[in-house]
Amino acid sequence: MPPPPSLSRRALLGSALGLGAYGLSGCAGLTERVSSTSRGSRDTLTFQTYGTDVEGNIYDVLARRFEEQNRGVTVDVTVVPFAEASTGIDAGLVSGTAPDIFRVDYPTMGVYASTGQLLDLEDSLDELAGDSSKAFMDAVTDRGRVFGIPQHVDTSALVYRPDVLRDAGITSVPDRPEDAWSWEEFAQVAATLRDAAPAGSSAFAVNWQALGAFRWLNFLFQAGGHVYDEDRTRSLLTSASATRALDFTKSFFDEGLVPQTSSTKAATYPDALFTSGSLAMLYAGNFLLPSFADTIKDRFEYAVTYLPRDRRRASELGGNALVATKGATNPELASEFLTFMAAPAQMKDFCEASVLLPTRDSLLSQELDFAVAADLMPVYADQVTTIEPRDVADVTTATFAEVNLSLANELETCFLSGRGTADTLQALAEQVDESAYLNRQDAS
Amino acid sequence: MSRPVRFLVCLVVSAVFVLPLFAMVVVAFTPRELVFDGGASLWPSSFTTSNFTNLFASFPVWRWFSNAMIVATLTTALSVAVNLAAGFALAKLQFAGRTFVLVVVLSTLMVPAQAVMIPQFELVARMGLIGLFWAVILPSASTALGVFLARQFFVSVPDELLDAARLDGCGTVATLRYVVLPMAKPLIAVMVLLAFMTQWNDFLWPLITLRDPDLYTLPVALRFLQGQFDADYGGLMAMALLSCVPLLVVFVALQRFFVDGFSRSGIR
Amino acid sequence: MTIEKTALAPGQEAPGEQATTPGTAPRSRLRDNRSAYSLLAPNLLLIGLFLLVPLVWSLLMAFQAKRSFGLGEWSGLTNLSRLLSDDVFWRALLNTAIFTVATVPLSVGLGLALALLMDKALPGRGVFRTIVYLPIAVSSLVVSLVGLLLFDESIGILNGVLRDLGVGPVAWQSNGALAMLSVVVMTLWTRVGFGMLVYLAALQDVDSEVLEAATMDGAGGLDRIRHVVVPWLRPTTFFLVVINMIWSFQVFDVVYVMTNGGPGYSTTMLVTYAYDEGFGPSRNFGYGATVGLVLLVITLAITAVQLRVNRRQEA
Repeated sequence: MPPPPSLSRRALLGSALGLGAYGLSGCAGLTERVSSTSRGSRDTLTFQTYGTDVEGNIYDVLARRFEEQNRGVTVDVTVVPFAEASTGIDAGLVSGTAPDIFRVDYPTMGVYASTGQLLDLEDSLDELAGDSSKAFMDAVTDRGRVFGIPQHVDTSALVYRPDVLRDAGITSVPDRPEDAWSWEEFAQVAATLRDAAPAGSSAFAVNWQALGAFRWLNFLFQAGGHVYDEDRTRSLLTSASATRALDFTKSFFDEGLVPQTSSTKAATYPDALFTSGSLAMLYAGNFLLPSFADTIKDRFEYAVTYLPRDRRRASELGGNALVATKGATNPELASEFLTFMAAPAQMKDFCEASVLLPTRDSLLSQELDFAVAADLMPVYADQVTTIEPRDVADVTTATFAEVNLSLANELETCFLSGRGTADTLQALAEQVDESAYLNRQDAS
Repeated sequence: MSRPVRFLVCLVVSAVFVLPLFAMVVVAFTPRELVFDGGASLWPSSFTTSNFTNLFASFPVWRWFSNAMIVATLTTALSVAVNLAAGFALAKLQFAGRTFVLVVVLSTLMVPAQAVMIPQFELVARMGLIGLFWAVILPSASTALGVFLARQFFVSVPDELLDAARLDGCGTVATLRYVVLPMAKPLIAVMVLLAFMTQWNDFLWPLITLRDPDLYTLPVALRFLQGQFDADYGGLMAMALLSCVPLLVVFVALQRFFVDGFSRSGIR
Repeated sequence: MTIEKTALAPGQEAPGEQATTPGTAPRSRLRDNRSAYSLLAPNLLLIGLFLLVPLVWSLLMAFQAKRSFGLGEWSGLTNLSRLLSDDVFWRALLNTAIFTVATVPLSVGLGLALALLMDKALPGRGVFRTIVYLPIAVSSLVVSLVGLLLFDESIGILNGVLRDLGVGPVAWQSNGALAMLSVVVMTLWTRVGFGMLVYLAALQDVDSEVLEAATMDGAGGLDRIRHVVVPWLRPTTFFLVVINMIWSFQVFDVVYVMTNGGPGYSTTMLVTYAYDEGFGPSRNFGYGATVGLVLLVITLAITAVQLRVNRRQEA
C-alpha cells in the first residue's frame, strides 16, 4: 500500500476524538477509552470500521450526514487496521466494551451472528430485503433473523496488461461474459506469458493471501464443487470437483505461472507486484482499483476481463456488512443508523466513492458514477451476478472463519511443500468437520 | 591467535553484526521507488528524507512515542517499587509463612506468560481493562525476576546495619527509607533499566490488549505499519529506526549498568 | 552468579538471625509480620491475580469448548484428544524443537567464542563489544522487520547481493527450510551478544593467570581453553543453555512477523499456534489454552532438570 495522502490518514487515525496527531488528551488510555473500545451512550454511537482512506473518509461524511438529520446525535468513527479489526471486536465483546456499530466481512459475520453477539434488526430491513438478491440477505441472516445490512459487495476479476499480452502474441481477450476463458485456455495464455516474461516477472498471481484464502473456493465452485453438503453438516471437500480445482491451482505453482511468494500465507499481497510491473495478470478485487489508479498512473495500461470458468462461472462474495452489537446502549439509535446506511442514497454515495458494488438491485441496475475506473466496473458488476445462494451459504457458516484459516494453511502446504492433492483435501475435510464441534454450543 | 589475526576476526564479526542495523538505516533513507523497482540495496543511488516526512504526516508517530513512554514509565515505577518492597521483606524480615511465600513467588518464575496468555486476556477483559493502558501495565508490573534481583541484593546487605538502625528506634519503613534505599541505588538503576527496556520492547501482550491505533506502543505500531505499508520498506525502516534509536542511545550511554543487569538476570 | 541459583535454593536463608534482645523478640516479630506482609502485599496481589489465577483458569479452560466471547461449556477431553491427533500441533512441537536445537548451541557457543576473542586487550575492543551487544537493545519487532528486509525474496537485501554475484533468487520465504533458517539467523543476531555479555562477566572471575596460560599464543592454546577455561565456565554455560532453551520454546515475535508460521506450517511454533487458535479467526480459547499448557509443561520440565543438576552440583 502506498503511503496515503497525509491529511486523510491523520483525520482517520488521529482524530477519532478530535485529537490531531499531536493533540494528546492526557487521559486517553489511562482513565478514558478511545472510542473504538467503548460503547456509546444514549445519544452517541461508536462505530468501528477498517478500510482504505477513501472508505474511511466516506464513512465519516455519511456519519456527519446522519448527525445533521438527527440533531444532538454524535457518531464516533474509528478506523482500525483490517488485520486487527475482528480481534479488537472480540475483546470488546468479552469485556462489554465493543463499539455499537462495526463493519465486518461476510465470512466472519457467521461467528458473531450465531453466538448471539449481534443486535437483531427485526423488521427494520424489510424494505432492503425487497430490493436485494436472496444471496446477499442470506449472508447477514442467521436462523431466519437478520443481524446486519449487506452494505456492499466486491468480488474478483482478472486484471491484465494489454501491452504485455500483445507482446507475447495474445491478441484476443474475452470482452463478453459468455466468452470468458475456460481453465484450459487460461492455462495456455499463462504458459505463453510465462515463457515471454523477463526474469523476475511472472504470468499472474491470485489474491488469496492474508484472510483471502476463501477466494480459492472460486475455483472449487467453478469446478462445480462445494464446501458443505446441502444442509451443511458434512464437508464435501474430497469430491472430484475439489480434486480438479486443487490440481489446477497447484499447477500454478508447479509450473511457475505464479510467483512462489504469492501463496495463501504470504506475508505480502501480490498487488504490489502488479503495480511495480512484474506481473502480466492478477486476480484482483475491485476495491483495489483506486489504489491502482493512484500508483500505476500512466506507467502502463491495464484492463480487466472475466474470471476463467470451468463447469460454471463463479465469483466470491467479498465485501462487508454493517452490524450492531447486542449490548449497544441505545439499540433503537443503532438500528436507525444501520437503516440509514442501507438507504439508497447512502449506499450509492458510499459505493461510488470507494468503487464498490451496491447490494440493492435498484442500484446495481443503474450506471453508478464511480470515482475512478468506471470503465472497468461493468466486468465486476457482471461477475457479481455469478454468485449463487449456495456459494454464500458455504462461506457464512459460524465456523467459516476457522475453515478459512485451515484453507490458508493446507493450501500453502500443498502449493509449496509438495504435498499431494488427495492428502491435502483429506486434511482439509477433517479440519472442516473438526471445527464444527464448537457449533454445538452455538446451536444451543 | 596472534593479535593482528584477532583484530581482523573482530573486525569481520563486527561487520556482520552491524550489517542489519546498517541496512535498516540505509533503507530508511532510500526513496521508495528505488526499493520497489530494483529491490533494497546497501548502496542506493540516491537518498531522501521523504520516508520520515511521510511517516510524520500520515501517522500519529508522536502519539505512539508518548504511549510507549507512558506505559514503560508507569510499569517501571510500579514494578520497581513493588519488587523492591517484596525483595526486601523476603531477604531481611522474619515472618510467619516466609518459606511458603518464597516458594510461591519462586514458582511463578517458571510460568511463561505466553502459556497462560489466553485466560490472562480473559481476566483482563472481564476486569474491564481492555482498551486502557492498565491492561498492559498491571500484568507486567510484578515480575518474579525483579523480586529475586532485589532479594539477592538485600541478602548481601549486612544485618548489623539494619540492627543498628533498629536500635536507634527506626521502624521497618524508616529503616528502609533512610538506610536501605540509599544503599540500593545500583540495584534500582539496574531494575529501572531492565523493566523499562522490557516494557518498551514488549510485543505480544500489548498486541493482544491494546485494541486501538491511538493507544499502540511502538512494537505494535510497527506491526500495524507493516500491514499498512506492505512492501514499502523505506517507511517501515524509518519507523523502525526511530523506535530503536532512543533505547540504543541509552544502552550505549549506560552500557555498564546494562551489562551488570543482564549478566545478573535473564531478562530481555 | 545468577538469580536462578538463588531462586532454586530457597532453603538458603539470609545468614544471621535478627539480633534482638529476648525481651523484645515477640513484639518485633509481630511488627515484622505486619510490616513484612504489607511490603509483600502489592507484589503478591499482582502475582496472584495476573499469574496464578490465569494458571488455574487455563487448566479449567483446557476442558471446555469455549470461544473468546460467550461462556464455555464442559467438553471433557475433547481438546486433549484433538491435540493428540492434531498434525499441526505435532508439527509446531517439532518445529519448536528444531528451532531450539538450532538456536541454543549456536547462541551459547558463538557467545563463548566471541567472549574469549574479546576478553583480552585489543585496540578498539570496547567498540567491537558494543557492536555485538547492540542487538540486545533492539526490540524483537525491529529485529523481525529488518529480517524481512534482508530475506524478502523479491526485493530483499540478501537476494539483491546474491543477484549481483550472479546467483538466482534464493527462496527464503517460499521454501520451508530456508524460512526456518532466516528466523534462526535473526534470533542468533540478538542472542549471541547476550551470551557473550554473560560470559565476559563470568570471565572477570576466572583466575587471570589461568587465562593467561590458556590463551597463550601458539600450540596448545585451544587445548587449554578446552580443558581449563570451559570447565571453569560450566555454571555460566549451564545458565545460558537453560535460559536460551526457555526463550526458544517461547519464540513468537520473530516468527509471527517474518513468516507468519509459513510457508505452510514450516515455521509454526507452539506459541504462534496457540495465538492463532485463541486469537485468530477460530477464536477457540479452549484449544488455545490447551496448547499453552503444553508450553507450560515443557518449561517446567526444563526447570526440573535444572533443579536436579543444581542440587547435584551443590551436593
